[in-house]
Amino acid sequence: MMLRRYRFEILSIIAILLFSALFLYTSSQMGTARFAGTDTVVSSEISKITGIPEEEYRPLVWQWVPPSSEIESALFALQAATGGIIVGWFFGYWKGLKERG
Amino acid sequence: MEGFFRLDWAAFWWFIALPCLAVGVYQLKKVLKADREALPLLGVTGGFVFILSSLKLPSVTGSCSHPTGTGLPAICFGPWITSVIAAIVLLFQALFLAHGGLSTLGANIVSMGIAGPLAGWGIYRLLRDTPINLYITVFLSVAITDLVTYVITSLQLALASIQLILPTTVPVSMAEVVTYFLVYLGIFVITQVPIAILEAIILVLVFKYIVQLRPGILIRLKIFPEEKIMTARSDA
Repeated sequence: MMLRRYRFEILSIIAILLFSALFLYTSSQMGTARFAGTDTVVSSEISKITGIPEEEYRPLVWQWVPPSSEIESALFALQAATGGIIVGWFFGYWKGLKERG
Repeated sequence: MEGFFRLDWAAFWWFIALPCLAVGVYQLKKVLKADREALPLLGVTGGFVFILSSLKLPSVTGSCSHPTGTGLPAICFGPWITSVIAAIVLLFQALFLAHGGLSTLGANIVSMGIAGPLAGWGIYRLLRDTPINLYITVFLSVAITDLVTYVITSLQLALASIQLILPTTVPVSMAEVVTYFLVYLGIFVITQVPIAILEAIILVLVFKYIVQLRPGILIRLKIFPEEKIMTARSDA
């Protein structure tokens, strides 16, 4: 009964664990894997195919680039936190409505 | 993927993206005006686009990619409103994270905001009125949305790289487009499969919470038939 009631919670935990296990396995098997973004991998693939070095591809519109990966991850965290606040705010609102009846 | 689209391709994708965004903004105004409970649903489903698209996860290919989160708003509000949510996230990433520049933004809106959600929404519409469990429908729809996003990204890049090799108006060889498409597909989609499955499972859980907390809005917006939602509600 409990198992059925929380089946999606259990399934989610299992999925996260399997995903993590898969990562540990991959990173142990692929010694050279750098876990760069797929866009980076495809970028170098494109320059291989076209024979044009990656540096020669320039954005058409001037673009600000985060000066370091620390700043980049801070901005990504900001994006995730914004989403988290919005989701939490409205779930809390719904929960409050439900409890008030 | 900044710089890979020449002006003509960048403009072409913008040309497709803009009318969809316009329809999305119009629909968004209408749905928010019609039902006060639509805003929280928009917040919850759209909030996950912000969260999930910021998480770059390692995958089987030894590289990282991120889920899109756009399947849930596609189910609840359709692909056009989803394109507006995706455009906001992608604009933030274009301005501050150098993930696709402003010229590439049109192409990114088409893949993540329109093509993927359109495919996921199509699956959802096909399955909505069948006896198939609504959570299975959500699972398939979210996973398809995620995967199709990257299929279209691969296609866009394949088309663009042909143009780069042949910078004039020489006719494009179909065989070349297909070859490049398959190369990019191999990198993007294989990486994406485990991520799409994980994302779909998590968003099924989120949908369960919406069904439990606020079934009324799902019924009013006719997202699923009432009896299906009530069955799902008493089930969990």
